[in-house]
Amino acid sequence: MGAYFIGAHELLGWVDGLRESTRIIGPVAKRQRFVFAELESAAQLRLDYDVTILPPKKVFFPPKQQILAFDSERVSDCIDPVPTVLLGVHFYDVKGLDMTDFLMRERYEDWNYLAQREATTIVASSVQSVAPRAFWGSIGAHVRPQGHDAMLTKVSEGYVLETRTPKGERLAGLERFRHATDDEVAGAERVNAAVMDQCSQLMPYDSKEIATKVRESFGNEELWDDLAMDCFSCGSCNIVCPTCYCFDVRDSWNVDQTSGQRTRYWDACLTREFAAVTMAGGQKENFREHHASRFRHRFMRKAAYLHDKLGGPACTGCGRCAAACTANIADPVRVINTIMGVTL
Amino acid sequence: MTKPRVAFFDFASCEGCQIEFTNHGDAVILELLNHLDIVEFREAMTETTNEPIDIAFIEGSFTRESDRVRLQAIRSRAKTVIAYGACAVTGGINALKNHQDDFAEEVYGEAAYMPHLRSGTARPISAAIKVDHEVRGCPVSKEELLLVISNLLHGTTYAVPTFPVCAQCKRRETVCRYEEGDHCMGQVARAGCGAPCPADGIPCEACRGFVDDANLGALEKVLVERAGFSQRRAVAKSRMFTANLRS
Repeated sequence: MGAYFIGAHELLGWVDGLRESTRIIGPVAKRQRFVFAELESAAQLRLDYDVTILPPKKVFFPPKQQILAFDSERVSDCIDPVPTVLLGVHFYDVKGLDMTDFLMRERYEDWNYLAQREATTIVASSVQSVAPRAFWGSIGAHVRPQGHDAMLTKVSEGYVLETRTPKGERLAGLERFRHATDDEVAGAERVNAAVMDQCSQLMPYDSKEIATKVRESFGNEELWDDLAMDCFSCGSCNIVCPTCYCFDVRDSWNVDQTSGQRTRYWDACLTREFAAVTMAGGQKENFREHHASRFRHRFMRKAAYLHDKLGGPACTGCGRCAAACTANIADPVRVINTIMGVTL
Repeated sequence: MTKPRVAFFDFASCEGCQIEFTNHGDAVILELLNHLDIVEFREAMTETTNEPIDIAFIEGSFTRESDRVRLQAIRSRAKTVIAYGACAVTGGINALKNHQDDFAEEVYGEAAYMPHLRSGTARPISAAIKVDHEVRGCPVSKEELLLVISNLLHGTTYAVPTFPVCAQCKRRETVCRYEEGDHCMGQVARAGCGAPCPADGIPCEACRGFVDDANLGALEKVLVERAGFSQRRAVAKSRMFTANLRS
């Protein structure tokens, strides 16, 4: 596909032009943090953001999503995709979406996710500020981001837009863009390579080595009790994670008591009842009753179990979990480095 | 099908949880009346009843022996008893007094020795009678109340959220109170409210009580290390709604 250049002063005009025909979701400020939200004007766009509170996964898989509507006569699905341009996704979040794209198609195709995913064009953007807890410079370097349709890189004087798919190509109208020169494309490449070095190299291990060692640590209860000592089981690390995809399903009636809906909510395996089941006869069993076993489970999933399926860690290095954990214990850098450093 | 007979009762409380029900407004309440027969509800009607009832919503905490007698009388004629709001479920804000004995003059001045102020320990109503369901919060969430009611009408049980408020804050992308230099108890507080307080810039006070296995040691540590509390304040924080839940 092509490579285009747009002047810095033209960018917002381009975005507002796109807004006339489609919904645009991009990073906007929320107090001192950032969130992905529908743009009401291009001026809200903050391509200089460091990281958003929730990853862009929420566009396809909202924290609360109605999946069925029912009344006394019938049940209907709620799949109703809105054509969308998701603009300004950092590469680590594209990697997260690549993982959920795979996981939501695996075995059962989840059209509650896939319909909106297919109706969306993703424009990635270069990282202009590195979040304090980010460690994407040192995890899963061999996994390349794939699911975006175009890549927007800030260079001096403007932006280079490299299109990767026909969907991406359609965004680059030549009334505002011109073809980029080879120098400009090389400049964009340098910008994106240089930012990798701005993120601390915190975890000097190959993800396969990590997967093996984490798996071997399973039975070391003392280690996990120690790592999880201050865990609240609050689930914040799960909720903000770009690769978590578990959900709980609840039915509710409307006030007429006949019609109603089935809704799915993001669930969190750190929370106490996640693995609680009721068996025939009414006995209850919780197969991860202790908070340390739930804490361990998260790392088993991210570092080992999903590694087998994805060919890399189910972690993008975004650092959201590290920042969201008030006890400051969820940081994969701390946990993985501890595990790699101990003799099991 | 006959409509279940529903009554509201109150003990030591502000009755705000009953008001919260009326805050649903005409459209919702008139529709609900197609499914419920409200036979006693002093915030909204003058009639009372001594007849058997199907569902008793009981607001307020149990603070004196005469309450026990009245609670037992309600229990004996109610098929289902619902502890309604923080005061009824945990003792709520009334339980603040359980940890001190020097408040009466401070609060009531010359009237401190009036006989009706001589109440005992503020306890949940479950200390007096069997409770079938709990609706937590100060006040209760009126949306959650509708879910409780519709589950009762359909013969099912509302699954009360058991996870902490943090998860609900994260789902709605509220900037964490700790990131704003504030404190919060959302890590140990029961959710189900939808986390409205932190979204409005107010720390969670755990009005629904604690989650099971709340890590209070870690809470104290975070309150000291991140919110700058003294150890004493961290331990005492916050008794506002949890006085009966901590030593």
